[in-house]
Amino acid sequence: MTNKSLSPLVDPRCWDDTTAALRAAAAQLLTDGTVAAVVGYVAGRRAGSALPAIVSTAEEAAKLIFSPACTNNLSLYLTRSKKEVVAKGKLAVMVKGCDLRAIAGLISENQLSRDNVVLLGLSCPGVYAAPADRSQPLSAGNIAAKCCECFVRQPGNVDQLLGSLPEIPPLKAREAAELARLEALTPQERWAFWNEHFSRCIRCLACRQVCPFCFCEQCLCDRNRPQGVEGSPRPAGNTAWHIVRAMHLAGRCGGCAECESACPMEIPLNLLNRKMAQELKELYGFEAGTEVQASGPLTSYNEKDDQSFIK
Amino acid sequence: MPKTITTQNLHALLDRLIAAGTRVIGPKHSGTMTLYEPLCSGSELALTELPRRSAKEAFFPICESILSYSKVEGKTTVSDPDLARLPATLLVGARPCDAAAAPVLDAVFSWDYKDEFYLERRKKTTVVGLACTRCDDACFCTALGNAPDARGGSDLFLTPLTDGSFALEVVTPKGEELLVAASNLLTASNAAPVPLAAPAVPQFDLQKIKGWLDNHFEDPLWAGIAERCAGCGACAFLCPACHCFDIVDEGSESKGERRKYWDACGFSKFTMHASTHNPRDVQPARYRNRIMHKFKYYDDKFGQTLCTGCGRCVRACPVGIDIAEVLKEIEDRSQ
Repeated sequence: MTNKSLSPLVDPRCWDDTTAALRAAAAQLLTDGTVAAVVGYVAGRRAGSALPAIVSTAEEAAKLIFSPACTNNLSLYLTRSKKEVVAKGKLAVMVKGCDLRAIAGLISENQLSRDNVVLLGLSCPGVYAAPADRSQPLSAGNIAAKCCECFVRQPGNVDQLLGSLPEIPPLKAREAAELARLEALTPQERWAFWNEHFSRCIRCLACRQVCPFCFCEQCLCDRNRPQGVEGSPRPAGNTAWHIVRAMHLAGRCGGCAECESACPMEIPLNLLNRKMAQELKELYGFEAGTEVQASGPLTSYNEKDDQSFIK
Repeated sequence: MPKTITTQNLHALLDRLIAAGTRVIGPKHSGTMTLYEPLCSGSELALTELPRRSAKEAFFPICESILSYSKVEGKTTVSDPDLARLPATLLVGARPCDAAAAPVLDAVFSWDYKDEFYLERRKKTTVVGLACTRCDDACFCTALGNAPDARGGSDLFLTPLTDGSFALEVVTPKGEELLVAASNLLTASNAAPVPLAAPAVPQFDLQKIKGWLDNHFEDPLWAGIAERCAGCGACAFLCPACHCFDIVDEGSESKGERRKYWDACGFSKFTMHASTHNPRDVQPARYRNRIMHKFKYYDDKFGQTLCTGCGRCVRACPVGIDIAEVLKEIEDRSQ
């Protein structure tokens, strides 16, 4: 790694400005009773760390932060899988551009009402890659792959846009390059690549649990009478699980890459999501989460659908 | 004369054991991380990084078959795995936070029901511990009264020396046996030990923490900490001491296995009853169980703490829950 890749990507003070605006906005929303709670991030014990927090007083709002460690997609807390949070009442939520796509998708799927959520949009230069040391400034060397190709650093259609965006130097599209590399492999080589990764899976299901779209109360992979997918952490069931996951998210996933970031075994799951998104775009001209829309191509039926694959 | 061994001779010892049919498990580079895995040669030993997953797998594998069946022409045959075929094993390079978990797990696996799968592996395994010389801000072994040079759970103990060799110390008769096997590979280095890791988290008063837990099953703290919990099993699966498992029959009508594999109390289905009633219906109730089990129930039952301070759950938690921060919060409340 060169020294250049470790130098700060932007002036770190931009996060301080966003944090100040955020605290004021959150305190106001809580004080005037617009919302019951704000879903945001607070600093953790470890240097530079941040973790999701649900704050319900102006006093607690003063602890909210925005930093490159704010990796989580907080739309997770707005779904029925978080019923104890949703039960608090109307919520405000801190959203980065990548998180907003999940919110649009959740509204499209009738999981969330736009009127029942206040969106605090964040000007976001990027977040850390999962293994990055949070005590170092954000740099080309430790930024998340998804951020290198981000096209929504300032989310639109939010209630308040917080902070301003500094100029960001061009970044190498690492994930697109890796996807292209995989596509150039033979099917056997690609199978070997995924087998190697899936054999490491321990079925902790962090990929499922952090996904805003995995809000099903009964997941197929938890069914045991009859068993849908082998639950045991063995290569066959692992592969089945990850294929089911990718297919179930096709046309829904907004590309926040939380699944990959959460995976303790570092399985590059977002490559699967991206491949699915690419297929959907090529086959149906459809992109998930760019706007609220009635239903995606894999969740709607049309008599004119291509049926030539049914043999 | 001090008993020491060079890295090269340590590798030679492992090669010798592997050649003799011993399963040697140790930290090894695997893709982008280090994992405890069976070694094909001593030179694969990679002692720099704390392995991503704990060493419990040496005794309590992520998944194992505990029964198999087949049905041929209407006749069903059921067979038990032959435990006698489990190989003699050497677990080498176990960090004190991993080695310390073995005696803790022994208590539950040999309690009212003797888990023959765990106990047979445990009996056949010699543990070579390694003093820890590197830590990060997730490590907190010392805060729990453990130590980077604690011998607990080790049969033989290695201390890295500044010249790249290791001091050897016998802890149990099993370790003595291994040392005898290594006798012609020993050297006599006088080099100083590499300074030990020094985790920064101050010592907890575990009795005080337990005292608070004894009286606060219902408390707003649980929601405060764990509403953010995503409900995955990363913390439990990476933990050296978490030991919950599920048993599921998998296969077809004609052939299949009964498999025992890791489970986690963070999963919403963990306590789901057949009636669909779930006594731990929200995530804070599940996270409370995690803390209660580690710092109260296990202490009540076995007089031990079900946490060694390895920090793996802190590093892995997708939503940043930090068990050291949680313990501090509880300690502060118990003043």
